[in-house]
Amino acid sequence: MAQDATVPKLNFGYWLDKAIEWGQATTLESQKDVCLHLPQLQEFLHQLYEAIKHSGSTVAIQQFPLIGQLLGRLCWNPFVIGYDESQKTLMWCLCCLYSSEPQNAVELKANSWIRSLLCHLLSSSKWESNEAETSTFISALGYTSADYYCHLVKNMVVSLVTELRENQVNGLNIQGSVSASRVNAVSIFCVPLITLPDLTPLLETLLLYHGGSSKEILSSEFLEAVNEAFLKKKISLPESAVFSLWLRHLPSLEKATLHLLDQLFSVQLNSLEEVACVMKDSLLPQAASHPAIFRIVNEIFKNALMETDGTSGVMTIIQVFTQLFLQAHQNENKQHKFPLKAYFPYHHQPLVRGLVRRPCELPTTYWSQHLKHISDMLKALVEDTNVSSLTDLFEIWFLVACFGEWLDIAAEQLLKAGVESDAVLWLLAFYYCPKNENQQRTQTMVEAHAVYNHLMMLFSCTELSLKDLEAAVHRITGREQCWNQCLTTHLLTNFLLFSPGGHKIAQECIYHITKTTDTSKEVYNLLIRTTYRFNHSGEENQKTVKLLNELLQKLTLKV
Amino acid sequence: RSNLQRQGWAMEVVLGQVEQLPALLAVSQSALVRDWDSLTLDRALEWARYFQHLYDRFRARPQLREALGRRLRRAHPYPLLGFPTLGRCPQLLGLALLENRALPPAACGRLLRSLLQPPSAGTGPEPRGLALLARRKAAACLLALPGRPPRRLPGPEAQLQAEAQLLLSRLREEGQQAGEAAGQRRWLCGVLEQLPQPRAFQVVAAALALLKQGSGAEQAGDRDRDGSILGGYQASAAEDGCTAGLLLSWLLGNQERFSAFCLCLPCSLLAFLAGHYSQLSRSYLDLLTSWGSHLLYDPLQGLWVKSCLDKAALSWEELRERFSCLCQGSALLKEQTQAALKLLKTKDGNFQVCGLSVWTDLLMEV
Repeated sequence: MAQDATVPKLNFGYWLDKAIEWGQATTLESQKDVCLHLPQLQEFLHQLYEAIKHSGSTVAIQQFPLIGQLLGRLCWNPFVIGYDESQKTLMWCLCCLYSSEPQNAVELKANSWIRSLLCHLLSSSKWESNEAETSTFISALGYTSADYYCHLVKNMVVSLVTELRENQVNGLNIQGSVSASRVNAVSIFCVPLITLPDLTPLLETLLLYHGGSSKEILSSEFLEAVNEAFLKKKISLPESAVFSLWLRHLPSLEKATLHLLDQLFSVQLNSLEEVACVMKDSLLPQAASHPAIFRIVNEIFKNALMETDGTSGVMTIIQVFTQLFLQAHQNENKQHKFPLKAYFPYHHQPLVRGLVRRPCELPTTYWSQHLKHISDMLKALVEDTNVSSLTDLFEIWFLVACFGEWLDIAAEQLLKAGVESDAVLWLLAFYYCPKNENQQRTQTMVEAHAVYNHLMMLFSCTELSLKDLEAAVHRITGREQCWNQCLTTHLLTNFLLFSPGGHKIAQECIYHITKTTDTSKEVYNLLIRTTYRFNHSGEENQKTVKLLNELLQKLTLKV
Repeated sequence: RSNLQRQGWAMEVVLGQVEQLPALLAVSQSALVRDWDSLTLDRALEWARYFQHLYDRFRARPQLREALGRRLRRAHPYPLLGFPTLGRCPQLLGLALLENRALPPAACGRLLRSLLQPPSAGTGPEPRGLALLARRKAAACLLALPGRPPRRLPGPEAQLQAEAQLLLSRLREEGQQAGEAAGQRRWLCGVLEQLPQPRAFQVVAAALALLKQGSGAEQAGDRDRDGSILGGYQASAAEDGCTAGLLLSWLLGNQERFSAFCLCLPCSLLAFLAGHYSQLSRSYLDLLTSWGSHLLYDPLQGLWVKSCLDKAALSWEELRERFSCLCQGSALLKEQTQAALKLLKTKDGNFQVCGLSVWTDLLMEV
């Protein structure tokens, strides 16, 4: 960014006008206006400071002749002073304007004015006329204004919290003891102070406050600002308050979800443990215990998936989210739990119930059977009843995809358990190729069978070479339909991981595949999902685990 | 042995340095600073930081703490400084200098830069502390703005509460110092004189009330992680007892003052305090007795009236209200009050009919 002195200059007039406007009006509207502009103002002040910090006072005043007016007016606006770091920047600017060696009367006057302003801000100079008695008393005690205001703010917060809570206990708004407009006003006046730690109890109380009217009482500026501060980790709130915020203010929830996605995409996360950690920190999986929140987050994820054309990275994230959501949901108190139907209202409930069962709840020997059960239900839904539109098909597909853990287990079971199961293979085929208008899925099923048989024949061989796997590999590297490519990759990778012969050529094979195609992301995601699954289930086979780590290392460097 | 000697000598040096603190603070508020240049100012701020460093080092060591505290007082008995003052030194000094108009521009410029500018070399908590102060002051302004509701909530307003908390905090620090009681009383007197009398009464009442409610002072002190040091520690019941004793001795030591106190404050608050402090309830009942005995019955109006138009006396209605409040207090207080009234009624002749003894009438009404 250009450290151009002209940049703040362009806005200087704008901010000066604003400062004048704010000083004169005391209406709620103008106060809301201040709140809206606080972040940009802070940015501007910072730029201003950068422009004058090395200049010395005379040059600074030459550059910005009205700077005294601007700073003076802003110093008397408690919204500005109360906000985040604006007070710091303002004071730094004042320091810059102070002349250590005043040459003339004007500079002397300016110095004096600066000191008065600072004394006003720091409240030491006899503390304004209405506090004169207090100041001598506090000084006699040996304390400073810092101590006094520390206590004062805390007391005011306690008083407001008590007032609001009492009103809650009463339930009814008796005699308008705390009117909706008062609560609204309080929420607006809190906006600059959100990141002040003393205010946290008040923030919490406001967020949990329900006045009995159906309209939202809290100002949207307040809700947005709290959400921003929470997302940037500038404040910490109890979970109940955060959930309340998201329940009452949809834009905040949307922002939080998008923020999470941003976080997960901006950094290359090396393991799903990290992903899970970031997700849990965001509190979204826990919040999703509220069906309304779950459904909105789900929608946003769905859109993200569609926008990215279904990349495996996004899909993996959605799957982790669903797992965390299930965990949180199951850990909840029995009384407060919502039924599954609340989260998946438009889906076939037996299918939902099947998918929601977590693998760890069933003995491994039962897994194939469970998968067959799911597959049968799914097949019935999709093939036999007339699934009328693509949208419906997509919704069903998305439901299954969210519970991707079962899909990974399906591929693993097919190869490890050697259970020839059409149903399980069909499940995978459906996942990779849900549409069947032109018999694509049927065709995929045929291909899948071929690959599967081929791999199962080689399963018990201990000495394998790349050539032996050529048929499978060719399906990936050749110019096949991408769904076939993905399905084959999935099966092949599992084969390499779980067959004794596969171990030895795994590196070579994977390297070959990922070099010639762009399947590296697919493979990478599959591997980290498998690692995550093993870490949680305690996979006994150390060799497999070791191989996984090696493969991942190589791939991480590439990706 | 030489190690011990060295330690003793080092301690003596520190004690000698600490003796300079009162002088430093005094100078910073005086016109003597007009001769200061930026180097002098730097040195002064260095000293302040050094004193704060001493505080941090010794706060967990009671014997050293006491030694330093004693030395501070020896140097300058008033205002009563103590060990915690060391911790507050940078702020005390910084703010005093900021306010001191005699400070010349060069030194002042240096002061502003040290106090307020972004720490390039990480100079410690000062800049943060002052920014927080400015922010809190604005917060106090903002939180008071959204239209005051009618005060339904009992209890003192925030400012009064803050003054009371600071008073308590200071008294607790005093308690730790184990100074002699007379000196402490004199000091307390002097401090409370800084406030106009009604306010002083309110502050003392609020402080006494806080002691019984488990004040917010400890909480504020404990959680405060910035530069403002409020002696945050858990005061024991014994220490609180001493603090309360000091406040009560101020209140009850002077009859005129106590009388004014009782006239000034609302009866519900007095009843609360009487319920928790037995010396107070006794004195209060005695006072009410003396006021009551000044009432005369006017048969023409059928009312009890004041015998002299003395402002330091209560009317019948006021007296009745006060006794009512007392009877609405704790069971013990109610018992005590009714017992006192019965006794007075008996002494007065044990009349059953109204109009003859003020105590009879009161007993009938409460």
